Amino acid sequence: MKKICLYLMIAAGFTIKAGAQDDLLGDLVKEDAGKVKENFATATFKSTRIINFQSVEMTGKGNLQFMVSHHFPNLWTDGKGLGNLSQFFGFNSGVATTYLSFDYSPKDWMNLGFALTGNSQYETWAKFRLLRQQTGKRTIPVTVDYFALAHIDASEGPSPDDFTWNRFSFLHQLLIARKFNERFSLQLTPSLVHLNYVPFGINNTNNIFTMGLGGRYKLTHKTAVTFEYSHQFNGNKNLLDESASAVNYVPDLVSIGYDWDTGGHIFQFYLSSTTSSQNITQLSANTQDFTKGNFSLGFTINRSYSVKRVVQAH
Amino acid sequence: MKKITLAILASILVFGFLHAQTYKTRDGYIFFNPNKDQTKKDYAADSKEATAVLKVETSEVALLVPMKTFHFNNALLEEHFNENYLESNKFPNATYKGKLIGFTKDMLAKDGVYNISSEGQVSLHGVTKNFSAPVKLEVKGKTATFYCVFRIKAEDYNINIPGLVKPKLSDETPLDARIPFQLN
Repeated sequence: MKKICLYLMIAAGFTIKAGAQDDLLGDLVKEDAGKVKENFATATFKSTRIINFQSVEMTGKGNLQFMVSHHFPNLWTDGKGLGNLSQFFGFNSGVATTYLSFDYSPKDWMNLGFALTGNSQYETWAKFRLLRQQTGKRTIPVTVDYFALAHIDASEGPSPDDFTWNRFSFLHQLLIARKFNERFSLQLTPSLVHLNYVPFGINNTNNIFTMGLGGRYKLTHKTAVTFEYSHQFNGNKNLLDESASAVNYVPDLVSIGYDWDTGGHIFQFYLSSTTSSQNITQLSANTQDFTKGNFSLGFTINRSYSVKRVVQAH
Repeated sequence: MKKITLAILASILVFGFLHAQTYKTRDGYIFFNPNKDQTKKDYAADSKEATAVLKVETSEVALLVPMKTFHFNNALLEEHFNENYLESNKFPNATYKGKLIGFTKDMLAKDGVYNISSEGQVSLHGVTKNFSAPVKLEVKGKTATFYCVFRIKAEDYNINIPGLVKPKLSDETPLDARIPFQLN
C-alpha cells in the first residue's frame, strides 16, 4: 500500500510538472527544427539563361515560359565612324537577330522547349535536372543539368540541294552550378556541338568542344550583374566557305549582363561578343572578335504562365 | 487514512492528466490570396504542413507554418515569395501563439459549431504583432476543427512589395487557417 502511495505521489508530481510546461510554441519550433529536411538551393540564377547560354534554372513545373531575345549588330564598327552614332550603337540599324521560344516543364526535373531563332532556323530542346544542390537529408554541393538541343536550318542556303540530314546540328551541354551564397553563383558548362555538315577546310571538324564559365552577383533582390565566358578548344580555323574564301571563326565568347526582375517579367540586358542569337552559332561559328572590341547589345525578356493549377481554393 | 491519501493522490493524478491534456496536429491547412480582386486566384498559395498545439485546460494554442511549405501556381511567384518578400532563409517560420476566448473543454465532447475568438501574437518576417480574431470551432465525432482568418497587412510586417505589383494586391491579405485536431 505504501508503495502504491509512493508511486502515485511520484506520478502525480510528474503530471503536475508536465502541466507547468506551457511553452507550446517553443515545443512546435523545437519539433520543426528537429525534422530532417531537404534544403534545396533555389534561384541559383534569375533566369533559365545566364546570358546567352542555359543556366541550371528551369521553368517551374506546370509553367509555360515565353522568351524573346534580340541581338543587335556591333556597338561600334571600325571605319564606320559617325555612322555608328547614327545607328545608335547598333540599336537603330534596323537589323537584329530575333529569338522566340516557348518552353514547358511537365516535371520538376524536365523542361521541353521550341524556338524560332531567325533566318528560317528552328530549335527544339530537352533539359533534365540530374542533381540538385542541397543540404540536410543529403548533401550535394552542385546542381547538375543535362541540356540537349537539335537545330535545323530550313533556309534556302547554304546548300539547298543537300540532304535534309545535312541541315541538322546538335548541342549537348552539362550545366554544373553552385550557389555559393545568397548573392553569388557560378556555373561551369562543358559543351559539345555536333555539326552534320561543315564547310571544306584543313582543320574542319564535326565535333566542337567548348568550356563555358558563367556567373551572377546579385546587387539587390531584383537586380544582378552576370558574366559569361566560353572558349572553343578545337575551333574551326582556316575553313573555306561555299565561294572558297577563308573563314576564321573566333574561339572565345565574352558577355556581361544585367538582370532586372520586375516581379512579372525578367529583363536581361547584355553586351556580348556575338551578333548571333542561338547557341550553336555562338559556340562553333562566332565571327565577332572581342579583342577587336566587337561587342553588341542585346536583351532578353522572360515571362512565365501557370498552365497547370497547383493551388486549389478550398 | 491511507485510503483517503490514496484517493487524494489519485485525484491529483487524474486532475493532472486532465490538466496536461494537449492535442497536436500536423494537418493544418493555410490558404491565402493576396489578389485585390478576390475572385482571381493567380497569386494564391497554400500550405498543408502547418503544425498546431491546443492545451485544453488553459485554452492556449500555438500554430507554426514553415514558409517554404507554401506553394504557388506560378513557380516564379514562389521564388519571389521566399527570396524577396518573406526572406524565408532568414525567417523560416510564421507562428501564432495565443489563447482561445470562450472555449471550454465541454465543447470538445459534443458535436456542434461554436463561435469563439482568439487573442495572441502573430510572428512573421521577424516582426511580432498583437492579433485577435473570431474563431469558429466545429466538433464532429472525434475531430475538432478550428477555422480562423488572419488578416495580414504586408507593411505591418516590413514586407516590401514593389510598386509595380502593389496595385494588383489587396492592402490586407486574408489567410484562411483550417486546423483539425483528432480527439482521442
